Amino acid sequence: VSEAAHPAVPAIGTLVIGGGIVGLTLAGFLAAEGVEVAMIDDGRVGGTTANAGSLHVQMQSRFMRLYPDLVPGLESTLHLYPKAVAFWRAFEQELGADFDLRITGGLMVGESREQLDFLAMKCRRERELGLESEMLDRARLDAIAPGFGPAILGAELCADEGKLNPLLANQAIRRWATTNGVVRLAGESVAGLARRDRVLVARTARGTIAAERVVLAAGAGSRALAADLGAVVPAEPEPLHMNITEATAPLLHHLVQHAERPITLKQLGTGQVVIGGGWPAHLAGDERWPTVELASIVGNATLAQHIVPSLGGLRIIRCWAGINTTVDGRAVLGPCRAAPGLNIAIPGDAGYTLGPLCARLVADAMLGRRPAVDLAPYSPDRFN
Amino acid sequence: MSCVTIEFEGRSIAARRGESVAAALTAAGVRGLRTTQSGAERGIFCGMGVCQDCLVEIDGRPHRACMTIVDQPMNIRRESHRRPPAPVAAGLAPRTLDAVAVERPEVLVIGAGPGGLAAAIAARRAGAAVLVLDERAHAGGQYFKQLADPASGRPDRQQARGRRLIDQAVALGVELRPGVEVWGGFAPMTIAASWRSGLLQLQPRALVIATGAYERGVPIPGWTLPGVMTTGAAQTLWRCYRRTPGRRVLIAGNGPLNLHVACELLKGGATIAAVAESAAAPGAGDVGTLAAMACAAPLLFAQGLAYRARLLAAGVSVSHGSVVRGIAAASDGLTVQIGDPRQGATWEHRVDAVCLGYGFEPANELARALGCAHDHDPARGTLVTRRDEQGRTSVAGISAVGDCTRLGGALAAMADGTIVGAAAAATLGHRRDAALARDIAAARRELARQRRFQAALWRLYRAPRLTLELAEPSTILCRCEEVTKAELDAALAEGPAPIGEIKRRTRAGMGACQGRYCGPLLKAAIAAAGGDVAESFAPRPPVKPLTIADLARSPSP
Repeated sequence: VSEAAHPAVPAIGTLVIGGGIVGLTLAGFLAAEGVEVAMIDDGRVGGTTANAGSLHVQMQSRFMRLYPDLVPGLESTLHLYPKAVAFWRAFEQELGADFDLRITGGLMVGESREQLDFLAMKCRRERELGLESEMLDRARLDAIAPGFGPAILGAELCADEGKLNPLLANQAIRRWATTNGVVRLAGESVAGLARRDRVLVARTARGTIAAERVVLAAGAGSRALAADLGAVVPAEPEPLHMNITEATAPLLHHLVQHAERPITLKQLGTGQVVIGGGWPAHLAGDERWPTVELASIVGNATLAQHIVPSLGGLRIIRCWAGINTTVDGRAVLGPCRAAPGLNIAIPGDAGYTLGPLCARLVADAMLGRRPAVDLAPYSPDRFN
Repeated sequence: MSCVTIEFEGRSIAARRGESVAAALTAAGVRGLRTTQSGAERGIFCGMGVCQDCLVEIDGRPHRACMTIVDQPMNIRRESHRRPPAPVAAGLAPRTLDAVAVERPEVLVIGAGPGGLAAAIAARRAGAAVLVLDERAHAGGQYFKQLADPASGRPDRQQARGRRLIDQAVALGVELRPGVEVWGGFAPMTIAASWRSGLLQLQPRALVIATGAYERGVPIPGWTLPGVMTTGAAQTLWRCYRRTPGRRVLIAGNGPLNLHVACELLKGGATIAAVAESAAAPGAGDVGTLAAMACAAPLLFAQGLAYRARLLAAGVSVSHGSVVRGIAAASDGLTVQIGDPRQGATWEHRVDAVCLGYGFEPANELARALGCAHDHDPARGTLVTRRDEQGRTSVAGISAVGDCTRLGGALAAMADGTIVGAAAAATLGHRRDAALARDIAAARRELARQRRFQAALWRLYRAPRLTLELAEPSTILCRCEEVTKAELDAALAEGPAPIGEIKRRTRAGMGACQGRYCGPLLKAAIAAAGGDVAESFAPRPPVKPLTIADLARSPSP
């Protein structure tokens, strides 16, 4: 870490830390309004944009099982999800880009009476909360999605779910942000934050960056940086496993999940099938590399071919780990009273789905506008 | 020699039992084997299971033609992009890793080439129980490639030496298990492999990685056309299967392997249109270097002279200081332009096949996946496995040997193997006897000699290391994802970024070969643009594509 001023960006109006979907869109929104903004991202560990591209709307059973105490928080956030998917669609149009975004509907399948009962209960609750969900028995399931294995008895269909190709989306958004005037510091990381007089100072290997405002959009990495300024943001990294197959003929139309087992299945426009859904990965070594595990490859892929047997004939060509961030079931959005000048933008679970919308809400608050969603329930002040 | 009739898209082809599908199809004049996303045809390229370009559909499933042995009648088609998956018989139950048996060999050696075999023999002689895995159907690796059908010809000295090494390993009680595709290494010490349509999980007490090297990709206009292959691929067609890549062949590259293969293909009845060697012709100033080579390894030196003499006698011109500037499809084969690497006139040749041999890349994917430390070698642009003088890597229990650690040739790898294998056994408490101790000392002397020879050899063959110099904007750099040089340049023009981001910007490196050919090219391009020269693609499993159903099954008996 150098104590001299950063040669490229010694001082800036707003510094966005984190270049994943949240940081990238947030920096772009601010820059589009004429704000002087720089975005810094390590590009290796956090903010690797190692996304899988599911657009989630219904409550993920994985999350409900793992964190039952967080279900109330999850329910209170649920209304954000259809808004977030609609925001993604509008954003794609605004950019005139092709994200390969398709709202195909999402299926959560069950293979026992108990699982279908759980899905039916979840479906009722989600309908009460305003989602468009319905239950399908096997015959109705086959009519819209042939190819499920003999064990599958039925599914919950949520109409608003879908998928996009994150490689296409992230590149288009990166170009848009750059065109808007965002200064990008790629491959650089922030070692710490401090307050100096009226500005916040980020320390990096190349030097210090003085900023009037800082946005932490660094997922779980936000925790330590917030702590440098005396603020509490209890974000936890959740490294998750992903697999991608070779390209094949159209096979899966919907985003597919399971009532009890961790899995997401979806086919991209390239014809490749992305298999994920919450199998663990870990952060290895001093560099905290997101690293995949053999147990997750075996468990995740054999489960996939159990649900959709024809996947068994496909070859996996790559596995990788992405990092989900969990907090308390709710997003953390907006200014932090405990640390003036500091703003937080963490969507909580399903960060890719919620990312652009959350970024818009925080950007609006920073621009002095009224965000389209009341940010009070998501304020970082609940921890401070 | 027994024959098997195979069907290729409705055409009956008489294949020799035991040869590769690639060899049988090449002999029948079939060159285009798979079609890409853009509809382009691809054929044999690496010939050793790395590039994934020679995929064919056999009985509904994708197979690499170069790695698949003809042992029964087969129904073969071109592999088409986005083909529907093969129908699966019964649904397989999901399973967790706990339910997968763990095999715990005392010493596990991955790769049955010169380094791996020598390491296995030394470890066994020290008293360790040793299991050797190899992806190919026969042990020997790329240097000791054995004749698939012993009746098809007399093995030459190199093959005979390999045979003796294999026989010695077997006689000592080393377990050689061919046909095993290792696809993953997981810290601290788990190896995952596909074998007999099932999953193999191994946790050895000591691991020796001996995965060798593969040929570098140098993007030349037309290098993805069927009929353009590595020199090593052509050599395998001849050495293992007694087939030639075509009637008229042009060989281009850097180093003596190209001359060796030219001689072999001549023997096989091919016409060698030319050998284009990028190094300048040896001159008066190289006398000292030649003397050093003759001194360090007289046999190899004599062999090199013999290649030259044989080519001269056959009227084959070795054109020094020249490269292939471009390859194009013609009505009856390929037209090739040969010339100075930078400018000036080119000479055109009309051939059936072009062999490219511009040096090697170490196959260090497993060592990297297991967390072994590597250092950047700026001269070669490759990573070098960090090892002590016993071959131990930075990870306890893991050694690495031969070309996968740093390039040095097969004979250096063999000497290295003796040292490393014995040391791996010693870490498990095995003692070396006096005979083994003598052989280790001899191996150290031999290794030093081979390194002197190699150093002199590459002084003699010194030439600019080609990366992107010959590529035009429309030339493909990433063979799998069909990413062109223009697309890479555009991505780099958007600003500096880590290599992983360039991968995501362009999709280069996201295909089935896992970036083995384009990775070094991206590194070179990033370095030229002023970026981080040392950074490589992050290692990602599987190092070879992995059929999902194989994870749900145990290897069939």
